[in-house]
Amino acid sequence: MTEEGNRPSPASVPFGEVCFIMAVGLSPAAESLPSRGGILARAKNLLERQASLGIILMIPGVILLMVFMAYPFFLGIWLSMSDSMIGRIGRFIGLRNFADLLTDSIFLQTMRNTFTYALITVPFKAVLGLGLALALNNRMRFSNPMRAVVMMPWIVPTALSTLGWFMIFDPVFSPISWLLRQMGVINKNINFLGDPGLAISMLCLVNIWRGIPFFGITILAGLQAVPQELHEAAAIDGANAWHRFRHVTIPAIKGIALIASLLSIIWTFADFQLIYILTKGGPANQTHIFGTYAYQIGLSATEIGMGAAIALYMFPILSVFAMLLLMYLRKED
Amino acid sequence: MVGSGKLTKRTLNLYLPLTAFVIFLLFPFYWMIIVSLKPTPDLFDLKFNPFWIQHFTLENYFYLFQNTDFPEWVMNTIIVTVSATSISLVCSVLIGYALARLRFPGSNFLGVGIFLAYLVPPTLLFLPLAQVIATLGLYNTYWALILTYPTQLIPFASWLLMGYFRTIPKEIEESAMADGCTRLATLVRIILPLSVPGLLSAGIFCFTLCWNEFLYALIFMSSGPMKTIPVGTVSDLIKADTLFWGALMASAVLGSFPIAILYSFFVKHYVSGLTAGAVKG
Amino acid sequence: MDEQKKGKGHSSLSALLTTPVSRRGLIKAGGIAAVGLAAGGSLPRQVFGQAPAAIKGTKLAILQGTYFIPTAQDLYKKQAQEWGKASGVTVATDFLNWPDLQPKIAAAVQAGGVDIIELWPVWNFLYQNSLLDLTDMAEEVGRKGGGYETFVLNSCKVKGRYLGIPFGHSGTAVNYRISWFKEAGVANADDGRKLDMTWDEYFAIGKKLKAKGKPFGQALGHSTGDPQSFCYPYMWCNGAMEVEKDGKTVAFNKPQFVDAMKRFIQAWKDAYDETGTSWDDSNNNRAFLAEQISSTINGASIYWVAQKNHPAIAKDTNHMLFPRGPAGRFYQMGSRTFAILKNSKNIPAAKEFLKWWFQDKQYDEWWRLQGGYHLQHTLRLAKDSMWDKDIKMTSFREQPKYGRLQGYAGDPTEKASLAWSKYIVVDTYAKAVQSGDATGAIKWGAEQLQRIYG
Repeated sequence: MTEEGNRPSPASVPFGEVCFIMAVGLSPAAESLPSRGGILARAKNLLERQASLGIILMIPGVILLMVFMAYPFFLGIWLSMSDSMIGRIGRFIGLRNFADLLTDSIFLQTMRNTFTYALITVPFKAVLGLGLALALNNRMRFSNPMRAVVMMPWIVPTALSTLGWFMIFDPVFSPISWLLRQMGVINKNINFLGDPGLAISMLCLVNIWRGIPFFGITILAGLQAVPQELHEAAAIDGANAWHRFRHVTIPAIKGIALIASLLSIIWTFADFQLIYILTKGGPANQTHIFGTYAYQIGLSATEIGMGAAIALYMFPILSVFAMLLLMYLRKED
Repeated sequence: MVGSGKLTKRTLNLYLPLTAFVIFLLFPFYWMIIVSLKPTPDLFDLKFNPFWIQHFTLENYFYLFQNTDFPEWVMNTIIVTVSATSISLVCSVLIGYALARLRFPGSNFLGVGIFLAYLVPPTLLFLPLAQVIATLGLYNTYWALILTYPTQLIPFASWLLMGYFRTIPKEIEESAMADGCTRLATLVRIILPLSVPGLLSAGIFCFTLCWNEFLYALIFMSSGPMKTIPVGTVSDLIKADTLFWGALMASAVLGSFPIAILYSFFVKHYVSGLTAGAVKG
Repeated sequence: MDEQKKGKGHSSLSALLTTPVSRRGLIKAGGIAAVGLAAGGSLPRQVFGQAPAAIKGTKLAILQGTYFIPTAQDLYKKQAQEWGKASGVTVATDFLNWPDLQPKIAAAVQAGGVDIIELWPVWNFLYQNSLLDLTDMAEEVGRKGGGYETFVLNSCKVKGRYLGIPFGHSGTAVNYRISWFKEAGVANADDGRKLDMTWDEYFAIGKKLKAKGKPFGQALGHSTGDPQSFCYPYMWCNGAMEVEKDGKTVAFNKPQFVDAMKRFIQAWKDAYDETGTSWDDSNNNRAFLAEQISSTINGASIYWVAQKNHPAIAKDTNHMLFPRGPAGRFYQMGSRTFAILKNSKNIPAAKEFLKWWFQDKQYDEWWRLQGGYHLQHTLRLAKDSMWDKDIKMTSFREQPKYGRLQGYAGDPTEKASLAWSKYIVVDTYAKAVQSGDATGAIKWGAEQLQRIYG
């Protein structure tokens, strides 16, 4: 069952990535206007021709990205291949930092932690986001305030909401421990952030909490774009709620959900603030991820070359996920 | 339609799960609010039920306004956020349009490059970036953030807007141009109005990221009164090994609820814009 | 005295907006009004001496960590403004949350923006390439103060040079509840100055108290203060250290230390609050003030807050010196320094300010306000009458004698800093108490140290 018309379904609307490759590959043929004399006319000409206009339009953004991102990025690459420390420019040492890291048991643990963190949280966020979207997709009172309210975890600065969680997980004062003790379920305070298994689970919990709104609102937009007629047609054909869900809803939002998931993996890999506030990678490195370990080595120990190398280890991994995304988009064409 | 049967079904399928979600998502905010309304000794008195307020007080909010530069933090955050969002939206509109509609040399390369730029984490960039900021003499000025935040926003916002632009039938623009409209005019008069939901999505995303940001704000602009809300909160309300929980939570509450209220307006347009698109099609 | 030349009446905010830091040095007299000042204001010449005319109209930026004692932080700000007004320099003082200091310093070292920074122990080694040599000024301060304390001498000289002027460090003691120690049968519990016990004796007290629901508390998480305050001394007390004097041979995996670690693992179960593996520097303060723990290692911050908010607990709280081990008694402690960055655009003003601030009048007032929370840098102040005001604080003045720095017995080089930042010693303890395997944990620690030092 497809929703193709002359116009691509709005279900694909919220994410330009769906059309990214299409856009790049299938731009309309260049037009050109007859050239006229004079500077003003020349300028107008430039603004009409695709080739020049395209470049002109890209310039502001590209300049910003070049100065404030590309240049520092290449500087960062150089740093990662040097033995620089803060305040001391080092020498070029090739890939030695990267090789050293592979024999560093703390780094290997960091890698394991990061994968665990990302690959556990994203499915939960997607599924719970879907559930939330399905719930919000119903007509009911207060639907607009409701939608704003459920976005709160994502809106509030991580630096602040995480402090709230830090209090909730306090080893002595946690209200959750208090409640469970009152109910007689436990008799000792829970060591939320100090027990090896619990620590990373709690971090996942906070990450999921923060990420559900993103999936929720995004998938909601996709659900809302499914024309009512499709559901009605399916119902007339005898499909019950579950069938409708499987054959109307899921295909409609599959694209969006996948894109959101891949983006979320990328964001979760690069996470920093949440872990930093709650555990700073402790206890005993059991919650270190790339971002926090790079920070610790690069800034606390001032081994900025090694810190850059740790951070850059993420890049190939993220590129793999990014390529998966691109491949999926190409396939969908 | 039998009344009670329908209600129970609805309760089970809708209200129960929704309530569960709301409790999970909002409990930490409930916690933040009640902590901000309690006096500090109460917070650490284990005799009290932590879920209620035993002694209501506004002293934490007074502390925030009297003993910190909270109003300045809010102003700084608003200035930086609004400016960086505006710049990012403008750049992203231009880039999105260029990549969606135009063919020009290097478009493939630039498109992929922008995509990859997205993968570079700020924790790697900030130190070399500090050097750039210093060379340009922007340290501790609003420009340090207004010019660097877009690097985190433009890639994603460009994709978003590209998608919206692609869904607008080319025929509309082509007929306008046949009538003598310039390309730029079609961008402004035709495409942008039809992309309002996309602009809103991108705007919301940019706004949230700027409001939230911590590392750049800490390193590039945090001297004296030039702090944003997250940076100011952490630097002024955590003194050595003592956290001022009441004031910390007050700052978190005041720093986020106004935004939530603002969002409730946009969310209405965001979603309705999309459904309108569906109906129109 | 120099008249304050009024600027265009810009607010501090717009001044910061329109005068980027890198152009600071170019701004001459007739420019900017000092931050937050009323016009005029002349102060006696003899207090300030003759400030060189060259620094008038310039700016100075000072970076420190936030103070625990807010009044001392306010005093420092006030002193800086006083000096600024009198010398015609715009002084900006910034105080950051401790964990945020290093990234900010890193950025300043790379790209400028700060003139004077507060360096924690060992940081003078880390950033040595970027710091101005202040040996002359520092030695003068030491001379005037009757000589520097031991922990200054152990920690502040980088290859024989002072790269900052030492100004002391916050103290650290074993805080304990008097009445509960009495219940556990400790003689002389009333007077912390009389208590002198071994670690095993200390653990035994904890065992009795935990049985009554009042355990000891110790942080073993990834935090910059409390965990190391315990982990390094306990290691030294039991005959182990990171490296030998040659700075290369790892001396961590010693049998006495393994045995001592086994006893600590037992004590963790018997005597300590086992959630300590997640504690940062602030948890033990809260736990102590909520009467959940009976003793913990901490600075004077607990006692100070108790005096304000929980007077009953304050009355029942006292401090004692760290317990000792077979190899002696040690504190992991060095002195902080105020340093000037080489890339500062205003070195003359920075030097003038520091010269002024380290004069007795300024330093002493600032130091006394903290009531013993901050340990003295010179021997003169060890005998100061402030120490006798509150006998519960008196034992603090002994602490500088026992101060040693990470990297012992080698120099506190950047390798020691790397080991510190990677929490190798602290994680050894955390792993030990989590797994119960002292030998394995120490072996892991030794391997990690070998990677760094070897």
